[in-house]
Amino acid sequence: MKRKTREAVQGIVYILPSFILILCFCVIPIFMSGYFSFTNYNVMTPPEFCGLDNYKKLFTDSYVTSATKNTLIYVIVTVPIQTILSLAFAAFLANKMSKMKSGGFLRSVMFIPVIASAVTAGTIWRIIYNADGGLLNKLLGIFHIAPVNWLGDTKTALISICIVAIWKNVGYFLVIYYAGIMGISRDLYESAKVDGATSMQQFTKITIPMLKPITYLVVTLGIIWSFQVFDLSYLMTGGGPGKSTVTLVMGIYNSAFKQYRMGYACAQAMFLLVIIVVINVIEDKFFKEKKEA
Amino acid sequence: MAKKRYLALALAATMTVGLFAGCGSSDSGSSGGSGETAKESSESGDSGEKSKLTFWFPTFAASDGEVTDEEFWNEKMDKFEEENNCEVKVEIIPWDNYEEKYLTGSTSNDGPDVGYMYMEMFYDYIDNGTLADVDGYFTDEEKENYVYYDLGNLMGGQYALPVVVGNPRILIANMDVLNEAGITEVPTTIDEFTAACEAIKEKTDVTPFMQPWGNAHYGCLNECYWPFFWGSGAQIVDEEGNLTIDTPEGLEATEFIRSLLDNGYLPESCTSNDDTLESFKNGEAAMVVCASSNALQIKEINWDYSPVLQGSKDAKTFVAADSLVMFNKCENKELAAKLMKYVTSKEVMSDFHTRVSEQPPITKDDEYTGDERYATLFADYGDNFVSLPVFKGAASMYDTLFKNLQSMMLGEMEPQDVLTETTTYYNDNLK
Amino acid sequence: MNAVQSKKMHKQHKWTPISIIGLLILCLFAVICVAPFIYMLIMSFTQSTTLMIHWKDVNFGDFSNFQYVLQKSGFVRALLNSVIVVGCSCFFNCIIASMAAYGFEKKNFPGKEAIFRVYLLTLMIPGQVTMIPVFIMMNKMNLLNTYFALIVLIINAFGVFLIRQFMESVPNELLEAAQVDGCPEYRIFIQIVIPLIKPVLISLVVFTFVTSWNDFLWPLVSTSNSDMYTLTVALSLLKTQYQTNYGLILAGATVSFIFPFLMYVFLQKQFVEGIALSGIKG
Repeated sequence: MKRKTREAVQGIVYILPSFILILCFCVIPIFMSGYFSFTNYNVMTPPEFCGLDNYKKLFTDSYVTSATKNTLIYVIVTVPIQTILSLAFAAFLANKMSKMKSGGFLRSVMFIPVIASAVTAGTIWRIIYNADGGLLNKLLGIFHIAPVNWLGDTKTALISICIVAIWKNVGYFLVIYYAGIMGISRDLYESAKVDGATSMQQFTKITIPMLKPITYLVVTLGIIWSFQVFDLSYLMTGGGPGKSTVTLVMGIYNSAFKQYRMGYACAQAMFLLVIIVVINVIEDKFFKEKKEA
Repeated sequence: MAKKRYLALALAATMTVGLFAGCGSSDSGSSGGSGETAKESSESGDSGEKSKLTFWFPTFAASDGEVTDEEFWNEKMDKFEEENNCEVKVEIIPWDNYEEKYLTGSTSNDGPDVGYMYMEMFYDYIDNGTLADVDGYFTDEEKENYVYYDLGNLMGGQYALPVVVGNPRILIANMDVLNEAGITEVPTTIDEFTAACEAIKEKTDVTPFMQPWGNAHYGCLNECYWPFFWGSGAQIVDEEGNLTIDTPEGLEATEFIRSLLDNGYLPESCTSNDDTLESFKNGEAAMVVCASSNALQIKEINWDYSPVLQGSKDAKTFVAADSLVMFNKCENKELAAKLMKYVTSKEVMSDFHTRVSEQPPITKDDEYTGDERYATLFADYGDNFVSLPVFKGAASMYDTLFKNLQSMMLGEMEPQDVLTETTTYYNDNLK
Repeated sequence: MNAVQSKKMHKQHKWTPISIIGLLILCLFAVICVAPFIYMLIMSFTQSTTLMIHWKDVNFGDFSNFQYVLQKSGFVRALLNSVIVVGCSCFFNCIIASMAAYGFEKKNFPGKEAIFRVYLLTLMIPGQVTMIPVFIMMNKMNLLNTYFALIVLIINAFGVFLIRQFMESVPNELLEAAQVDGCPEYRIFIQIVIPLIKPVLISLVVFTFVTSWNDFLWPLVSTSNSDMYTLTVALSLLKTQYQTNYGLILAGATVSFIFPFLMYVFLQKQFVEGIALSGIKG
């Protein structure tokens, strides 16, 4: 009896520091955010209750509409491409080059963009993308492709940002996939080979199904990160041209810290939260169904 | 047994305390400390602790200039500190996220006592009572000495002390190119301007005109849009603070900007340009509108300027009227007012104008010492220079308008839609 | 024997035309991965304002861009801040997370699983959602512009979750034996548990390092005092200050990149393993 209480006290003491921090900086703020989203609040004067006004505005605000659209496009472009690329590269490296020094070297090289912060990456790429004599246009010029106004044109600005995001993320997911593939028992491949399976068949019948939990993680992380995109577009385009690269988080940032509308920003934040939760639930279902099938 | 429990508790406690103490220590104390100590020291006057003031100022120095802003202001403040037995903490705020920094700063105790604001920012701060009315701190004589004192009278109080007034946006032209196109004078009316564009387009291979539509900040409306907007007789807001951009005059100006692009006077690449001065310096663009002080950086081009373009109804161009402000939470307002006077004094300002940024004098006892090209500019064209109005949600309105205009330049919006949509957005969200 | 054999078989299968194309694509991507950094490095030794590398302008002995950035732009201070913030984040995150993980996994107390479920739920919540209330709280408590504000948000439930999974492998018998021997509780934790979970701690350090070094939005929002800027914020401001002086801007980018890059070069194995481990366990 006494032992049990002691253990309980010890347990509580151990988790206490992290519990306090998570309570104060994650759980309570969520509720505060929820509360503020029903108020007009500019930090300098106390919050004023305004009912559903902020949420009503949310759906008529062209800025939020564009931000939602852009963020969705961004997610739809980056997540599949970076997942497929990193899986393909990882499979190739694991199957063909795992015993070679150069394979390890290639992996380390591809991880370098992960080390750089989004700010560093954005700074470099902004200069590379420069329409007027930037590195990329010069390179294209060699192949007689007319210069493209990468970040200055509404049609290419968002895609240009997606490319940088993919460039930056592939290395990260590649490492995760690579470890996953190396964890698959060799015997499976050996027996498949005995049965006469081609390497393509091995890939689709063994590698992909075995990697399902990892794919789940990669997709989940990819989606959550992509919905939070801010740094790249803040640095490379500042949301422009027009509203072509504004993102949901940029909308939150602008409303809160440029327009001093904390309440409205909180409503946008809650909107973002709902989107992420819904997508997570859908994705969960999707992966579970596939598992059963 | 109980002993162990206490040990575990103590361990956890020290760790937690360590966390807070270890990282909580910072220099939040250096900026005026907690309210009480600052109050005490101000009451006790010279004896005891020194008063502390925080002074925020934006960047003005050229990146290749002789002094940085920090060096300049720290040097100036040394003297003030000595004379008044106080400490002034200088903080240079970059333009990039200026408004955000002010919001963060002014709501926390870390913010400025004396700061620097531009017209777009005033409404919210005055409305919230964050700024102090400084009228009482100035004698009539002192007020008389300021050329633009009345410009600081906003929303029924003297909340601002104009400090950088000037930098009008002027039209500068590459005279070699103009001559090549058979033009000898910089255009002074809109019609001459379009004619010049046409001539340059026909007779030379230089881009006639350039605007920075690729810039991320709405501040470049000051050179891209407002001069033309006012020229056609439009006004941003009426006396009650209603947005009046969506008028026939506003439309005329907006369509004019668009026509520059459609007629090929502005290159397509203007939507990715964020520094027209660079294009001008490289000889790529024959004409640009830029701030008068920036034009002086141009050494490699034979240029001349025209202060203002006569539009269909009016001849107006943007002029900055940025001011020093005092925050209400400042504990030692007397000292803060002294600091404001010191910063705007002839001694500091003339040095600022020569070493940091070329601007016209703001006090009557100061003389214009800048470039002779501008010697008579302010005397002759003072009435043509307009600063932005103070109204609610100004910065956000400009931001929205700018983004919509960008879309228009990219061919995705029509001029009328730009004005309608901005007005609707403003009325629904910002008013 | 078996391994040798399979290696042999691999060799035979290896270089079909398709796999050569694959290799080429891979190499191309690898080049794309490093090229921007090489460009950055070369340009940071250039004085011109053009965007292309003109070899006659490049002078690797000329550190004036770096000198300028470090001296005049407060980069030294920003670098120091980043190092402090990242160091403290890693340290405290490890301690707090492993304490909590130990408590959750090895101790029994009422409501334990419910609390842990809350922890898991918080993992789903993006930081931007809580950012505004946290900003307001910190503002009212006068904690903005402090290291505390910059560090505390890095500590989250992920570490607890990660370590708890690993903690399962710590044998209970060992802990009980130590207890029976009269070893005080805190020593069990420090001397037995911590060494056993070292691999996952390294993984957490790497993870925390990457997130905290790259953190941008929160430092941008929570610091108004230039003495408190982190490297990411300082770098982001460089671009407006020096518009088209690309050499200077890229020198700043180089400075911000060099530190994590060196870390990576020296701790490459830990980096990759750390990320891989977080993937498999997570």
